[in-house]
Amino acid sequence: MAKPDTGGPDSESGLPLLRIRGLGVSFGPVDAISPLDLDVHDGEFLTILGPSGSGKTTLLRAIAGFQPPSAGRIEFDGRDIADLPINRRPFNTVFQDYALFPHMTVRENVGFGLRVRGTARRQMTERVDIALGIVGLEELDSRYPAQLSGGQQQRTALARAMICEPRLILLDEPLAALDATLRRQMQNFLKSVQRQSGITFLFVTHDQSEAITMSDRICVMRTGNIEQIGTPRELYYRPKSRFVAAFFGASNIVEPCRIEESRDDMTVVSTPVGTFSVKGPPPENTSGLALAIRPEAFGSDAETRMNSLEFEVAAVSFVGSETITELRHRNTSLMFTMKSRSDPAARPPETGSFLRVGFDPAECALVTGAES
Amino acid sequence: MRRLRLLDISLASVTTLVYLALYLPILLVFVLSFFSMRRGRVNWETFSLGWYAKLFDNEALGDALRNSLLVGGTAVAAAAVFATVAALHVNARPSSRSARILEYVIFLPFLLPPIITGLSLLIYFRETGIPRGIATIIVGHAVFVLAIIYRIVLTRLNVLSRSLVEAAHDLGASKFQTFRYIVLPNLRMPLLTAGILAFALSFDETMITLFLTGTDATLPVRLYAMMRVGFTPEINALITLILGFSIVLTVAVAFAWRRNAGLENNSATRI
Repeated sequence: MAKPDTGGPDSESGLPLLRIRGLGVSFGPVDAISPLDLDVHDGEFLTILGPSGSGKTTLLRAIAGFQPPSAGRIEFDGRDIADLPINRRPFNTVFQDYALFPHMTVRENVGFGLRVRGTARRQMTERVDIALGIVGLEELDSRYPAQLSGGQQQRTALARAMICEPRLILLDEPLAALDATLRRQMQNFLKSVQRQSGITFLFVTHDQSEAITMSDRICVMRTGNIEQIGTPRELYYRPKSRFVAAFFGASNIVEPCRIEESRDDMTVVSTPVGTFSVKGPPPENTSGLALAIRPEAFGSDAETRMNSLEFEVAAVSFVGSETITELRHRNTSLMFTMKSRSDPAARPPETGSFLRVGFDPAECALVTGAES
Repeated sequence: MRRLRLLDISLASVTTLVYLALYLPILLVFVLSFFSMRRGRVNWETFSLGWYAKLFDNEALGDALRNSLLVGGTAVAAAAVFATVAALHVNARPSSRSARILEYVIFLPFLLPPIITGLSLLIYFRETGIPRGIATIIVGHAVFVLAIIYRIVLTRLNVLSRSLVEAAHDLGASKFQTFRYIVLPNLRMPLLTAGILAFALSFDETMITLFLTGTDATLPVRLYAMMRVGFTPEINALITLILGFSIVLTVAVAFAWRRNAGLENNSATRI
């Protein structure tokens, strides 16, 4: 991970807001985070995504200052803050359990950051009113946290973190405790607050669909390393590793894969089920090379696509909006999903018949590494 | 069916007996503090507050009561400060050597028979030439009640979510501000409870006090001394007053807890 693969569409627009170089955290002999680099750009919604134990929360805690790093630099706006005490760091955190002060009302909780800075009472009232307005809690300002619903607690925690007008807010799985419906609402809400306020959000989650819907960029972590950074589309359509491909939903893996030739941003690979063209240059490290194809990338209009293959239909299942067809050829089996139709002419193929399907070079990706 | 009723009745009678055994003597004392007895019967026509008047004239008892309140108040206050500091340290660094040593050191006097604590303190004060009196009693009681306050405070600190302290720091609070605005308010109820419990322990502590007392006696020691020459009826008035005080205290604490319970119950789910 020595190579600074920090990505980012706006890298050229000067210094990133948060610049992390060689940051490592170890608990005794165990490396929770291997030295890594990460840039967070001003105004973006960056999500750190990973399964539990991937080090994502540890990374966030190191940035916030709760976890002293064992190596590396953390620069905020060009200034090294690695040694800055927590209460001097110029950003705030929304905690997973919200960490609302139980003995204070919503108003007191939200105003806490101003109170410890000795802000004048009148100014404090005004600013708390504004923050409460943003999160829609004006009516509940005299309630105690125990008297609030999960979503309202979440909003209070967000208002409290925003009150000192930080340029960066760290959010540690803030939606994990909410039920599915509320969670979706809060995703939209968080995203709109982020967009309107222009505050940079560094958001930690283990939920890939949450990451995809909310983020400008996603940083996928695995066992203390950054696996890949990119926009949700890049990660979904152009995963670099099997881990990322698998993490973003079911992907067809065709292996082993050998590179035949590469030119003009196109790589030709041979696999046990045929030779295919893949968009993009081949990866530098080709250990465990495989071809990943999204189930929805296949089309039955094989003749119009650059890549095609003929498989036997092993099973067809209708799951409502989608119909999933399982194709098999020798040892390789592929899943192929398409939109369900009621039109009998567009009936799905019969089990046991042979089906030719095609996919575009841009709809598949070469991935490396071991399976999860 | 019949058997069941029999069981109910016998259970009820046993319960009644237990309550009678518990409260009848207290009730008797209460009655006797207002009325006098003749030939084993209460004479209901003799209502008077005379024993209370007498009690307030009894300087020996009054002094003893004052001493008890002074000893209890001071010892509890001193122990509370020390216990809180110790609990904060242990909570912050639970696995450190000093924390483990502290745990044992604080608990030892509470587990030791009071006679040992009293005796060793007595020897210590004699060898160092410190004259015995109210001050030495206070030291003895503070040592004795330290463990109970420490334990209650530490328990509260342990359940006080770590992220509350982190959140306060994160929002810009200094260590002192975090303690003042976040930790201390959450310790108010446990400190109140522990303080009352410790005060009650101190109030009737006799053994350690006997060793450490000089010329000033606390109430239990005074009563113990009075027993040898026989009680006068104003003792009933004294017990009634203490009983009334205890009831008021209990009710007050119950109310405080109930008011607090709503706030304590932070429903934020922990994962």
